[in-house]
Order: sequence, then C-alpha cells, then structure tokens
Amino acid sequence: MRAAYLAAVRAHPPDRDPIAFQKIREAYDLIRDAERRLELRLFGPPPLESLDALVGLFPDERRHVGPEAWLTVLRETRR
Amino acid sequence: MSKRHRRPPSASRTDAPDGSGVAAVRAHVDDLLARGKTRDAVEAARQLYKAARTAETEALLVDAYGARIRALMATGLTREARELASLVVERHPGTRARILPLLHETAARAGGDLGPLLAGLASADPATRRDLERTLGRVLTDCRALAEDPRLSDGDPLRQAARAASELFQAVTSGPLPDGALARLDGVSRHSPLAPWKLLIRAIDAYYRRDDAAVLANLSAIPPDAAPARLAPLLRCLAGEAKPIDRPSLGDRVLLDKVSGGRARFRTELAGLIDAIRGRDQRQALVAARNLIETARSASDTFMPTFASTLLTHWLHANFDPRPLMTLLVRGRSDVGTLRQLALALERVGAWEAAVPAWDGYLATAQQIAAMPHTGREPSRLLLHMAELIPTDIDELLDVADVEDEEELQELIRDGALPDCLDRGRLLERARTADPDARVFRALVAHWETRDPRRAEREADAWRARHPRDLEPLLFLARAAERRGAHRKALDWLDAAEVLDRVHPDVRRSRFRVLLSSGERHLRDRQVSAALRDIDRLAVGPEAAAGDRPAYVEALRWAAARCAGETASAIERRRDLGERLGNPVLLNLVLASVAATIGLDTGGDVGVDPSTAMPKVAAVEGLARAADLLLALDRPLHAPPDLVRRIELNPRGAAPAHLYSLCTLGLRTNRQSLAYAASGAGLEADTELTHRFLLARGRALATGRHEQERERALRCLRAARTLATRLRDTETSREASLALRELELPPWLMDEAPEEDDLPPAAIRRVIEDERNATAAPSFTALPPRGRRRRRPDRRRPSLPSEAQPFLDFKEREL
Repeated sequence: MRAAYLAAVRAHPPDRDPIAFQKIREAYDLIRDAERRLELRLFGPPPLESLDALVGLFPDERRHVGPEAWLTVLRETRR
Repeated sequence: MSKRHRRPPSASRTDAPDGSGVAAVRAHVDDLLARGKTRDAVEAARQLYKAARTAETEALLVDAYGARIRALMATGLTREARELASLVVERHPGTRARILPLLHETAARAGGDLGPLLAGLASADPATRRDLERTLGRVLTDCRALAEDPRLSDGDPLRQAARAASELFQAVTSGPLPDGALARLDGVSRHSPLAPWKLLIRAIDAYYRRDDAAVLANLSAIPPDAAPARLAPLLRCLAGEAKPIDRPSLGDRVLLDKVSGGRARFRTELAGLIDAIRGRDQRQALVAARNLIETARSASDTFMPTFASTLLTHWLHANFDPRPLMTLLVRGRSDVGTLRQLALALERVGAWEAAVPAWDGYLATAQQIAAMPHTGREPSRLLLHMAELIPTDIDELLDVADVEDEEELQELIRDGALPDCLDRGRLLERARTADPDARVFRALVAHWETRDPRRAEREADAWRARHPRDLEPLLFLARAAERRGAHRKALDWLDAAEVLDRVHPDVRRSRFRVLLSSGERHLRDRQVSAALRDIDRLAVGPEAAAGDRPAYVEALRWAAARCAGETASAIERRRDLGERLGNPVLLNLVLASVAATIGLDTGGDVGVDPSTAMPKVAAVEGLARAADLLLALDRPLHAPPDLVRRIELNPRGAAPAHLYSLCTLGLRTNRQSLAYAASGAGLEADTELTHRFLLARGRALATGRHEQERERALRCLRAARTLATRLRDTETSREASLALRELELPPWLMDEAPEEDDLPPAAIRRVIEDERNATAAPSFTALPPRGRRRRRPDRRRPSLPSEAQPFLDFKEREL
C-alpha cells in the first residue's frame, strides 16, 4: 500500500499537482488506518445526496474511435 | 376523408380567380408554408395555376414545390424529393434555374453524388454560385468526397480546403491533435461550404480537450441546416448537456456509447429514473432502473457500490418496494455486497427494525460463503453496529415491537415471533464472542447497567481480566462497589486504577467520593477512629482542596469530635472553621449538612439563622457558596426560609456568580421562584453569564401555570441556546436544547415548531429587555419528572416481521 502511495506521489508531486496530491494523501490517510479501513469496508461508501450526482461519478471517458462512427451518423440523413 | 384526399378550401377547379382572388390564394399558400403544411400549399397553388395559368401563379406553384422538396429532404425522403424536383423541372422548364440547386441537392443527398452540384458551381453566376455553395454546405456529409472529386482540379481552393478538413476530421476523431494543427483551417471563410466542418472539427477537438464551453460555442455557430449540424445534439450530450436526445437513431446510440464509454447513455437513463421516482411511478422506475443498472455495470468497479448505495437509498426514500430492485441488483449468490447496501439503505432511511435483520442476513450469508470470518474484528464490529441501531430508549423499542414491556419482547424473541437479532444483549454477546474488544465490553456494561447491575459488574470484571491496562472497567467496578456500600472494595478497585494512572481526574474524583462516603458512614456508625483515618486520607487528595471543600473536611473533623464527646476540641474546630469561612451563614449550612448526613444532634451549635443579623449581600454569598459546595457533593442543603424569601423579594446587589449559584439551587431544589428572581437580577447585571441566566429563567418559566409563561420560557430558552452556541458553551447549549424539547408549548405555538431555529441578535436583545421589565412574579407548579413513559401512539405500526419481510423474502429466494 505504501509503495503504491509513494508511486502515486511521484506521479503527482505536491508542487506540480497539489489537488491530485491532496486527494492521494487523503485516500492514503483513510486506508492506512485499520479502523477506518474496516469502517469503509463495512459501512461505505456513503450514498450521494442526489441521484443526479451519480453522473459526476460515472467515469468520464472520451474515447477516440476514429471517423467512421461519426460519419455513420452524418450519412443517416440519406435514404 | 384521409389527409391525402383533403382539398384546400381556397381554390375552385372551374372559376378563374380575379386579381383579388389570386392575392387571397397566395396569402393562403404563404400561411400554409409558414405552418409547415407544404403538401396543402402545393395543392392550393396547383389548383390556382390550373385555374389561371399566368407567370405569377406558376412562380407561386414553383415556390410551393420548392418548399415541399425541402420538407421531403428534411424528413429524410431524399429519393422522393429528387423525383419531385425532376418532375418540376420537366413540367416547368421556365423555372429550371430556381429548381436546379434543389435538384442537385437531392441528387447529392440521395446518392452522395456531388457531380451535378460541382458542375453547376463551375459555371454559375455569382448569385447562383452562392445558392449552390449553401446547398453544398447542406449536403456535404463527408469532406473526403469533395477532396477526392476529380471534377475539381488539384489546385482548386475548395478541394484543398476539403482535403485539409477531411484529414483533420480523421485525425481529431482518432487521437489528440498536435498544437497548432487546426491552423490549416484558418483559410476557410465563414461563407465557405466547409465552414460548418471547420466548426465541427473545432468542437470535436475541444471535446477531447475537455473544454466543454468551447464545444458549445462552436456548435452554436453551425447553421442548423448544414450537414455537420446533425452531430450537434450528440456532441452537446457528450459535453454534458442535460437535455436528452430526441428519438436517437442506432448510429446516435453507437456513437455515444463508443465515445463516452456509456456515460451519455447513463445520463439519459438516469433522467428517466429520476422522472419516474418524482412521479412516484414504481413500475416505470423499475424499467428505467433495469437499463441503468446494466449501464452502471459497464463502468468501473469502484462506481458500482456508490451507485447501488445511492439508488437503494433514494428508492427506499420514495417508499418503493425494494424486492424487485434487489432482484435486478444482486448478481448471484456471492454478491453479498448488495445485501450490505440494502441494510445500509434501510438504516439510512430510519427503518432500523428492518435494517437490523437485513444486517444479520448479510452477516450470515457473508460467513456462509467465507466472505467474512466468524471471529475477529470485522464480525464483532458489525454486531456492535447492529446493537447500536436498536434504540436505547426502551419505550421506542417497545412501541415498535408493539409490546407492553421488555419481558414480553424477550418472550416474542424466544418464541421466534421476532428475530433474535432484535435482542441487543444477545447481539453484544455475539460481538464479544467474535472479538472481546474494549468497545464491545463498554457497550455490554452500559446495556446491563440499568437492567441487571450484577451482570454489568460481571461484564466489567471480564473486561478488566481481558484488558488489564484499561482504566474504564476499574472505575466502573469502583462505582458499582460504592453504590452497594462496599467502600473498601471500591477503594481496592481505585488502588488498582491508580497503579495504571494516578493522576487521572476520574480516579481522583472517584477516590474523593468513596473516601467521603466511607468517612461519613463510619461517623454515622460512630466509628470515629475509622472515620478519622478516612478523613485523613481524604484531606491529602487534590480533590479535597478545591473551592470550599477543605471546610467540609474540617466540618467532618468537627463532627468526629462531637461524636467522640470531645467538646472542647469541637468548639475549637468550629471556631477555626468559622474564621476560615468568614461567613456565618455558610458555616451554619455546612455544619447542618454534615450533621444531617451523619445523623448528629447538633445541640446549640447549629440551628439559629444568622442571616437576619447580616447584610443581605453577605448572606446571599453564604447561601450561594453553600449551594456550590453541597450540591456538587450531593449533600443536603437546608436553606433558611426567611433568607430565601428575602432574596426572592429583591435579589439585586449580589455578585453575578452568586446569583447564578442561587439559580442552580432554586432549580435543583424545585424552588423555581428563587431561580426566577435570581436570574432576573442576573439579566439586569448584563454580564457574560447572560446566556446562563436566560437558561435558568426559561427553565423556571417552563413550570409556570399559565401559557403565557411557557411562551416566555420558549423565547428565553431559544435566546439562551443561540447565545450559548455563539459563545461555544456547549453544556449550556445542550441543556437549553433539552429544555426546549421538554417544554410543553402553548397551542398557538404548536404548529410553528420554532424551537429548532436560532434567534437573531435583535430578537435576543428584545427577550432580555422584556425579562428585565417583567414585574409580576409568575406562579409555578412542581417540575415534571423527567424520563416519564411516553403515551403509546394510537396508530399501530406495522409489526416487525412485515417490515423486515422484503429482505427476508429476497434472501430466501436467492439463497
């Protein structure tokens, strides 16, 4: 766990990427405490306040799929 | 009559219209075109043309045909549009130039053939060229077709721009563009047929760079009739716009899924679920949830737990049956995670009576499939959590189980009518068996303390044996022994506690309390030597040095001398004590308290009230200090009635701290008039104790006989709580909250539930001012006893098994 933490910190050092570093630090603090880890395993994760907020949590992937899928939609106007 | 056979009402087949008739039909055709009724417009114009074949009516007819052709193309009927355009050109050769761009457009749309359009472009006059370029912009669904068209020379600027757009479109959809790559499109003017493509490519590039504002800005500039505009709603959806796509085609769905990894679909499906939940339509919500769950499963592994947790919680909040949703969510026998989410969701919506059996089901299943050990911290922590869910308020528990007393509840559990996991003691025992952790012991001791004190002691002893470094069980055992009157045993426990932590404040306080009780009991039994030994040990402890406590210890020595018959020594000690205290009222009250505690006849030493011969302020001070000392030690205080009456009449002039002590005395001894008077004088003084005086005032007024007094109590208590919160005096704030909850509100304030709100500063000042100006003394009743049994609700709650049934049914079916 510590090795993974250090690797993540190397990838996102606090001087260059303070926000990511803060998140990594908080996550590490959470999981290195055995009691908090147990709490999370048994009683987490907490639900979101609104269902709408689930969209924000859904992985925001933006995949490059080549031109064909786009052109297919454009061509759909023809019969 | 079908739509196809409807006739427009305006034109007659036989009568040739005059000038005004033509104008009327034109207006009618224009109106039909404006309303999008192109078919009817063509029919009306055709009838007019048949009746009067003039250039004007022909132009009107061709206009109507043009609109009809465009409408057919807009609905995707390009072949029909092409056929109609050809027919029009054939029948009305004089208007060929007007229909030609449409004919080219239909050809390009129907077969992707840009040839006629490009040929026309090469030879067109400037006006026609603009029309044709606009047409090209509408039909150009792939720049590559233009870039590779042999009818354009290699050096043709349009072909070069099309090649750049085609290559950039290929590049931007296949990977990140290098910096400056879009500069190749700078030469494309906004009038070019490729201008919409330039904007589309920029929008796609912005999308992959996660600059969603730039995506929307570029899309908004694309003309709605341009071919690339077809992708605008999809890109808007991808960029996070909440508006769902209207009737998405298969190509739309494939593109959204491929590019966003299911996110766009998830958003659309979620919107459907939210609508169904808002509409309280469980059937529709279930349909939406089915698709949504499938999409959610395609996301990352870390997303699913939060998704299930959120979905279940909102589902239960909507009062929907969780069983069908659980059927969708649970994936096979090993999916205990979803059972856990159900228990958590039930717990979060406040259905503890269903949550506890759900947790128990989860625990059993998890252990059955070896997802959780049978012993250790994990099951122990979970069992402790389940026990904590069961209300400590026995009345609430009995109300939910619909039984009269705890014995009946136990009987139902024994008979199997209720699940045994609703027995908190049993849950805690299971937790202890799984892992004898200090937290479990603490909970066990607290559970049995009020039900079976001997059992609580046994648990504390087991705790001490298991965790010999824990101070808590020793302090509990000392307290329990003290309660039984086993002072020696209590002191033994405290000796053991001192070995662990000599300076712990609880250890010190406990030792002082036990030695005091022991010394007093020895004096009561007239065992003077033993009492003096206790007093000597008591006197050296730091707790005995606080405030006026040394005086109380000295008073015990005086009592010992009196018990031993050492009159001279007693007189001497009394004199020393009087000099030390410097207040005859205080001296009298302390001696009287000690004498009452140990059952000593004081003879002439105590009994005459000296306050009558003293200034009132000094007498008040004596009474206040006695209240501080004796109430803290939980010893009797017999305040002189005359003095109390004098204070109640006019308490002004006393120090604020003493006034507050009198407030406490009044409230503790059920003498609300004293608390009322002292708090009033305290409020006049405007000190930093104002919030506490408001609390005392409110608590005194809460027992007023009239509703107006309880209304005043409400204002005082709200002001006290607000001020205490601001001053971070948590104890006063908590007491004010408790008093507000217990306050019996007048009927006109029942619906407002104002006790939850804080008061603004101006309102607090007004409350203080009103209380200062209140002159008439209210009449009080005795304080209501705390913790009385609440009245059982008339409506019977659903019995426990039925509330737990959704989970139990589900579990039975799945496992």
